[in-house]
Amino acid sequence: MKGRRAFWLLPLALLPVPLLLNPYQQYVLNTALLYVPVGIGFNLVVGNLGLLAFSNVAYFGLGAYTSGVLMVQIGLPWWLTVIPAALMGGAGGAIASIPALRGVRLFYLAIMTLAFGELMRWTYIRWESLTGGSMGMAVPTATLFGWALDTDRRRFYVFLALVVLIVAITDRLLRSRFGRAFLAIKDNEIAAAAMGIPTDRYIVLAFAWGGAVVGVGGAMLAISVGHLTPVSFDLTELIRQFAIIMVGGLASLAGAIVGAVIITAAPQVFISFPGFDELVFGLLIVLVILFLPRGLASLLARLHPAFVERYYRD
Amino acid sequence: MTDAPLLSVRDVTVRFGGLVAVDAVSFDLHAGEICALIGPNGAGKTTLFNAVAGNVVADGGNIRFRGEEIAGLTPHEISARGARRTFQNGGLFPELTALENVLVGLHAQVASSFLGLLLGRRSAVAEASATARARELLSTMGIASIAERKTGALSGGQQRMVEIVRALATNPPLLLLDEPAVGLAPAARQRLADVIRDLAHRRGIGILLIEHAIELVMSVADRVIVLNDGRKVADAPPEQVRADRAVLEAYLGHA
Repeated sequence: MKGRRAFWLLPLALLPVPLLLNPYQQYVLNTALLYVPVGIGFNLVVGNLGLLAFSNVAYFGLGAYTSGVLMVQIGLPWWLTVIPAALMGGAGGAIASIPALRGVRLFYLAIMTLAFGELMRWTYIRWESLTGGSMGMAVPTATLFGWALDTDRRRFYVFLALVVLIVAITDRLLRSRFGRAFLAIKDNEIAAAAMGIPTDRYIVLAFAWGGAVVGVGGAMLAISVGHLTPVSFDLTELIRQFAIIMVGGLASLAGAIVGAVIITAAPQVFISFPGFDELVFGLLIVLVILFLPRGLASLLARLHPAFVERYYRD
Repeated sequence: MTDAPLLSVRDVTVRFGGLVAVDAVSFDLHAGEICALIGPNGAGKTTLFNAVAGNVVADGGNIRFRGEEIAGLTPHEISARGARRTFQNGGLFPELTALENVLVGLHAQVASSFLGLLLGRRSAVAEASATARARELLSTMGIASIAERKTGALSGGQQRMVEIVRALATNPPLLLLDEPAVGLAPAARQRLADVIRDLAHRRGIGILLIEHAIELVMSVADRVIVLNDGRKVADAPPEQVRADRAVLEAYLGHA
């Protein structure tokens, strides 16, 4: 794991980047940043734990609406809503793990968790008094210790700090016996239990931590967009999030980061050719799955050994 | 062996619907003893074994391990108490390396907590000492050279050895081996027999062994328990079992 310390230079190198960007580009970069935790949480459950749980949009929405509702209804400043958003996302993850604890796997688990995501979307539509229903709700300007986060450039620095924190903690988690236990459960659940691993507890843990991290992404979305609508948490959004981890690389932190950047940036490149962006998007997914089944992160790993994650599998 | 048994199985019964897979079987296993479970296919060996390991819940009877009732505990609880098992058809984590497999075996002994990790405490020290221990375990079994290889790509004999090292990682007093010799070449079987004898007779580990390779059973077992149709039909030293009529009947068929 030599040279890993150099990764701390990456966020430092990003610090002056806003000076080079116009407001729209800054908004796109912020979006890429907020999709990093979204991809990390999804990847933890699908990639590391190996369970086909498709309720990631549920945690995303829970985080976003928790943040938005707390700001609107009780006037909390945004920064105080980040932890509640994480807790709600984590609770959503724990709830979504219940069928898995009952032994539901594969397509059955996929469809049940998918239903959970849709149920949450239905809830945002119906609970109009809180969420504004399908018309959505406006999110007030965020503040951080009284400092208004009223531009994308200001939000960028807060997002960057949050993302660095989440990446650092999750990296630590995955490199510990917990991360190893997740991979063991994915490979052979019965043998993992025979090694003294309380598999149920670890499944809840992976879902809850994944959900919490995605929930923080939701809180970032709330202030980045400034307006929340249930459409942002539909099946199309789920497919986008799934594409992040498939294109970036399953069971890889670097994969979630690379995937978030590519999936956010790729459509922008072709934005002046309406309709063409979706074609490129689809083509990208097909090409990566055909030629790089371990995602773009596996290219990085081939480039330099520092990118080889300890539990990276090729 | 006058001391209390390590494992004491009393009248254990397991039913699958109307089928009685294990029918009121009792036996004791002492520390340092190698006890083989044999019998024709469908005799209930694996079911009995699974009942001891917690993978199947017994419908009746008692299973005491080191004086404590373990019937009804989950597999991870039984494993944590020091009864560790291997599996019939590859219980390894194929995508993990041999070293990582052993590290998973050491899971409970790696001191790192989730909260500690969240609050920023590094698990580097715990990880480093566990890794050193795992390497040492692999080298005592003479397979240090395959530490960094994914177990899915190892030969059958190597896989079996990694699985035994992994099960032994926590120094368990009881080892449950489910058909360890299946698919092994004669030389590897010989080596396996030496390892099993060494574990029991030198290190004092109690070993419960399911095995179809009868010559291996006869050469390593101190005692042989024969099951047929879920019932125990013999429980004696190997040379005696070899001459037993009931055993012959079990294998040659009966009405």
